[in-house]
Amino acid sequence: MTAYVRDTALLTARSLRALPRVPERLLDVTVQPIIFIVLFLYVFGAAIHVPGISYEDYMIPGIIGQSLAFGIIGAGVATSNDMNEGVIDRFRSMPISRLSVISAQVMGQFCEQILGMVIVVGLGLALGWTPHLTLVHGFELAGLIALGMFAFTWAGVLFGMIVRSPDAMQGVGFIIVFPLSFMAGTFVPISKMDAVPRAIAHWDPISALVASVRNLTQGTHATGSWQLTHPELAMAFWCLLVVAVCVPLALRRFNRKLAM
Amino acid sequence: MQPMNESLAIEATGLIKRFGSFTAVDSLNLYVEQGTVVSLLGPNGAGKTTIVRMLATLLRPDGGSARVAGYDVVSEAARVRSVISLTGQFAALDPHLTARENLVLMAQLRGLHRREARAVTQQLIERFDANEFADRIVKTLSGGERRRIDLAAGLIVTPQLLVLDEPTTGLDPRSRQVVWSTIRELVADGVTLLLTTQYLEEADALADRVVLIDHGREIAAGTPAELKTTVGAQRIDVVAADNAAFGSLELLLSERFEVSTVPERRTISIPAPDEAADLTRVSELLAGCDVAVDEVALRRPTLDDAFIALTGRPAEPELIEEAA
Repeated sequence: MTAYVRDTALLTARSLRALPRVPERLLDVTVQPIIFIVLFLYVFGAAIHVPGISYEDYMIPGIIGQSLAFGIIGAGVATSNDMNEGVIDRFRSMPISRLSVISAQVMGQFCEQILGMVIVVGLGLALGWTPHLTLVHGFELAGLIALGMFAFTWAGVLFGMIVRSPDAMQGVGFIIVFPLSFMAGTFVPISKMDAVPRAIAHWDPISALVASVRNLTQGTHATGSWQLTHPELAMAFWCLLVVAVCVPLALRRFNRKLAM
Repeated sequence: MQPMNESLAIEATGLIKRFGSFTAVDSLNLYVEQGTVVSLLGPNGAGKTTIVRMLATLLRPDGGSARVAGYDVVSEAARVRSVISLTGQFAALDPHLTARENLVLMAQLRGLHRREARAVTQQLIERFDANEFADRIVKTLSGGERRRIDLAAGLIVTPQLLVLDEPTTGLDPRSRQVVWSTIRELVADGVTLLLTTQYLEEADALADRVVLIDHGREIAAGTPAELKTTVGAQRIDVVAADNAAFGSLELLLSERFEVSTVPERRTISIPAPDEAADLTRVSELLAGCDVAVDEVALRRPTLDDAFIALTGRPAEPELIEEAA
């Protein structure tokens, strides 16, 4: 067990040490959310009116929820890159726990997601977002965000091992996660959408993330479906479901990932 | 459990690996005595890497069994990993760390403390003459430099069995010489080595025993000398300067010798059991006539000849492409 902790720490340190030498790998958690915030706040925001709430207060919680979901793409692309490196083969042929190799992958990605979240929250606050958090809600929010990052990082690690290349992962992310993250009441209210996207949004897991963050920070109450009226419960449920499905599959996949 | 032979570093019987409907390794038997160097020799796609990956516990065999230092590669995989060191075909290093950082990391993962890990790393860097580039990021190193660090990473703890998968593929001749001399030193220290290669001269230069692999099967095995004798004695090759000369040479030489010809290379081969004496006779005959000759040379059979004799095609991938 101590060997597992030690090996995981060593391997996590390896990923983090490499990061400053390939800063382009961090674009998805740094530049991308900044562009989204600025675009929506100053380009689209001026034309969007959400009754009873300033657009900063409406949109920043949305971006936080969306960033959690984008963790799948980020972790997936990074894992797909890493698994193609020969060094993984060396780790696998060494007398170290294979679980520590994949744990370190998750830890490294988790740290990147935290960096991204700090940037989003920091920029949001600087541009006029005013969360109204009680201490209890603050802990609840931090706990849910950490759980969300954990779950979506594992999902990304799993997909990153399944897809054939980082480009394929980008593609899958763009086709599935991207639209779902826009339909989730992230930037505009679900109630004003057309019938079909509205029906999707009511049960889109990302809607639960967005509604939870908005609920806890601004005290708004979404309606339309069970998961929107109970967003925190729904978010915890979705995240735990993702963990329950993705963790065992990712471990199995890693042990079997036996490229020629 | 089967009884194990203590002196065998590798004992593989009936090993099979399939990828879909393609059988990459087909009922392979392989025995490697401790302290010897065995080379798996075969063209690209012969199944060498698949064999090595099964022995290194990276691939699960679909049939048969394999033991490394007495441990089963499936049921005792963790023990196998503790006695084996694999250096693969592609540099197994973190491209974004420096050479030194890579070695320290591998040493720490082998259970060494930071200080010990640094000391071992420094020793390896000196042993592999890598001081010059030890603190550069691996991505920026040349192929030969990378391969040396790769080899060093495999030797942090002296393994009972060292497996090198195509250690010089893609290297320039000078780097190849450096890698070869490193391998020779290791062998002199008594390391058991399994080496795969598609270069006949490499197997010839390094191995005690060569196993020729084709389509995932062993097609021949023996010392390099034994394999060469399977294709017969040495010969003299006379290469004509042009096609007209080739015709007259063939006429001239076939009167006195038992010749075989390779018209596309304008080469006439003559068996030369008496070596120098035969060479002298051929030279004298050629000197007495006025035919343009490019080259006259005494050829000893190479492993390449053995490969052609056994499979009906050359081993070197370049030659296969030319023939296709």
